[in-house]
Amino acid sequence: MGGRRQSNAVRAGARTKLLRVAVAAGAAAAAVTAGIGASSAGAASRVDRVDRVHRTAATRTFVVADTSSVEKLDPDVVTNFLDFQALGLIYQQLVQYNAKLQLKPELATSWSYSDGNKVLTFQLRKGVRFDDGEPFNAADVVASIDRALTPKTADASASFLSSVKKVVATGTYAVEFELSHPDNSILTGLTSVNFSMLPEAGIKAGNLATEPDGTGPFEFSSWSPNNSFVVKRNPHYWGGKVTLASVKIETVPTEQSIASALEANTAQLGLLTTPQVVDGLPSGLTRHKVLGLAYRALMLQDEHGPLANVDNRRAISCAITRHQVLQDAVFGDGRPVGPVPIGAFASKPVSVVCPTQNLKKAKAYLKKAGDPHGFTFSAIASDAEDPTDSAQATVVQSELSQAGIKMNVQNLAGTAYVQDWLAGKFQAAFAENGANPSPYVMYGRYFGAGGNLAVPAGYHSSTLQKLLAKGDAASTTAQQKPIWKKLSATLTTQAVWVWLFSAYNYAVTTSGVHGFQFEPTTTTSLIGLRTTKLS
Amino acid sequence: MVMQVARRVSSMIVTLFGVSIIIFLILRLLPGNEVTASLGVSAGLLSRAQLAALDRYYGIGQPFYAQYGSWLGSVLTGNLGVSLASRTSVASLVGAALPVTLELAIAAMLIGEVIGVVFGVLGALRPAKLLDDVGQGISVFGLAVPTFVIGTGLVTFLASVFHYFPSSQGFVSITVNPWLNIQQIFFPALTLGLGIGAAVMRSTRTAMLEVIGLNFARTARGKGLSRRTVVWKHLLLAALVPIVTMSGIQLGYLLGGTVVVEDIFVLPGLGRLLLTSIDNRDFAVVQSVTLIYAAGFVFVNMLVDLLYTWIDPRTRA
Repeated sequence: MGGRRQSNAVRAGARTKLLRVAVAAGAAAAAVTAGIGASSAGAASRVDRVDRVHRTAATRTFVVADTSSVEKLDPDVVTNFLDFQALGLIYQQLVQYNAKLQLKPELATSWSYSDGNKVLTFQLRKGVRFDDGEPFNAADVVASIDRALTPKTADASASFLSSVKKVVATGTYAVEFELSHPDNSILTGLTSVNFSMLPEAGIKAGNLATEPDGTGPFEFSSWSPNNSFVVKRNPHYWGGKVTLASVKIETVPTEQSIASALEANTAQLGLLTTPQVVDGLPSGLTRHKVLGLAYRALMLQDEHGPLANVDNRRAISCAITRHQVLQDAVFGDGRPVGPVPIGAFASKPVSVVCPTQNLKKAKAYLKKAGDPHGFTFSAIASDAEDPTDSAQATVVQSELSQAGIKMNVQNLAGTAYVQDWLAGKFQAAFAENGANPSPYVMYGRYFGAGGNLAVPAGYHSSTLQKLLAKGDAASTTAQQKPIWKKLSATLTTQAVWVWLFSAYNYAVTTSGVHGFQFEPTTTTSLIGLRTTKLS
Repeated sequence: MVMQVARRVSSMIVTLFGVSIIIFLILRLLPGNEVTASLGVSAGLLSRAQLAALDRYYGIGQPFYAQYGSWLGSVLTGNLGVSLASRTSVASLVGAALPVTLELAIAAMLIGEVIGVVFGVLGALRPAKLLDDVGQGISVFGLAVPTFVIGTGLVTFLASVFHYFPSSQGFVSITVNPWLNIQQIFFPALTLGLGIGAAVMRSTRTAMLEVIGLNFARTARGKGLSRRTVVWKHLLLAALVPIVTMSGIQLGYLLGGTVVVEDIFVLPGLGRLLLTSIDNRDFAVVQSVTLIYAAGFVFVNMLVDLLYTWIDPRTRA
């Protein structure tokens, strides 16, 4: 008994000792880390800051911060914005857009149509090499396009090349695209990262999903899924000297944290979309902004219920003040737009039915539709898909109510929204859709014959189909202009959807960054890093 | 003792099995699939042949039980599968993220325990005095203010005032650069530790107040033992069971808290991996990470139960 008590006492003593040691160790650790934190946050922070800047400048590691992360390395299958931007540093396409959204030669030096615009011939650039040093030639183009068009690849943009019957090499540096019908928008399609030029050997080896190999200014260095993506200067690059030794795209999950990273100079470039965050940044940072290649619209399903009546749709269009939606959704940092927001065929940024809000006209349309007291419909939105959806919905709801129209809003989770949107299971949907300088690329998929997105588009019209086919076949800008103007007018007079606004995208750079130009297309938006310098 | 451990381990296995089934079913009940999650509305641009190829790749259309059986079989043989989003092995993703979360959790627990026990004991010794008021203030703050508010505020304050945000330059392992690693872990750990400290402090203070006037404490003081010995050797030991209980509960919740804090402080831990994988409907990753969190929670509970018997031999029966 006594022995047991003694044993318990010994154990109790050991426990007490252990407890004291643990508490002391914890206190010491906390004190040390607190001291570190305090010192770092205090005087050392200035030293650290200077050190960091010098170290970054010396090694030329340029850090780009984005809320998203690079998800895939195979350029044919990417759909995420950041994937396009990141792989746009490594890969190049046959043609590309310049800052004014005009097509320019990239890996093709020239192109021409023949045989009634059913054959498209590209002359290829000579002296181009892939990252591994292998030369680029026509065999790589044929292999790349064949790969993109193979169903197993699941290239998200393959439908843009649906007119391609065959691609053949007619020389070491010449390729012909045989088309089923005259197709001018194919050039626009070919600017996508999804149609990057890949090495034939890499395609055969099947390793491009893990080992990117392109002809662009940077070559792949490393990738940590969900965290970072690193590229380094491509020594074989044909387009001039690349100044930065390496670029790291770092995932910083919130825009507020990106702002903090810029202030701490741990990132030199931040990609932002929220005007409030950009407005709150200190004055020492440089803001670059371009109108995003996307537009917000209230998509309407026009074949059932009250929205099947064109005058009800027109009443909705007349009841909405686009400027107010823009103001409340993105603090006015954007532009009200029509069906074609950008490029040579941009439509006027107002509805031809009601250039501005006109409640009298809205009520007149309701009366004409036989619904003088208004009607009720529902709309889906998703803040997960577009963080401005709630704000847009609130304004639109309030303005429609002034005309007697009641809109019920369902804010859905991202995937639920996508599922309903794809199935056309909505009466109206707040949507952020991709814009393109080519109206055919924008609307062929929705309103063209056999368009993949005809179901969510919710409107079928032979007039639109004919206009789209005619515009696609027209080979000059002069021929295309009246056609696309008519397309815009038809879309708005029929109030097929209600086009709202396009917002700006922002790239914010720190004070030591020089020569960066923020390009408007997703593929090329970071290509300005090619000539960027760090002081 | 051995029997008790064996009982707990077997119940842990049953619990984890149940968790795995629930997680598996919940994930499949969510709208959408891997294709729509991966491509968003762009999935609509794919042709039927392309969709069929993707369905085959993702295994969409297989019966649930076949999918579950295949996953469970792989897990039991140590193969966590392949992330369908990034096409890399789940084991490598988890292997990279787990040490970050563990380090964060341990540091947060350490900070929380120090804050909680020290202020709890000091507050109980001098109720309604300055130190007690300070402790109570910290406690109310830690309990009332959510971690995402504390974290966001801390990040914004340090970056805008001191231009200091060490974790945003990419996480560095403690073996590579210990100094930078400590700086990267300290503030997120502090953010989490405040909440833990608040709860532990309340338990410590209450438990200490309960034992402070008991006979054994009076006897110890009467024997002429020093105040420090009485407090830290006798009183705290007697008050340890509720403190350990509360710490165990907090450690369980801490695992969930790391999800938010890792996102704010840009730490590439399990929490961030989980959030990204949920967004991508990357089922193999979500299932594995959730299972790891559940295993952590169950393991901590088991550890706490075993600690009771070690701290207080009376509970061994």
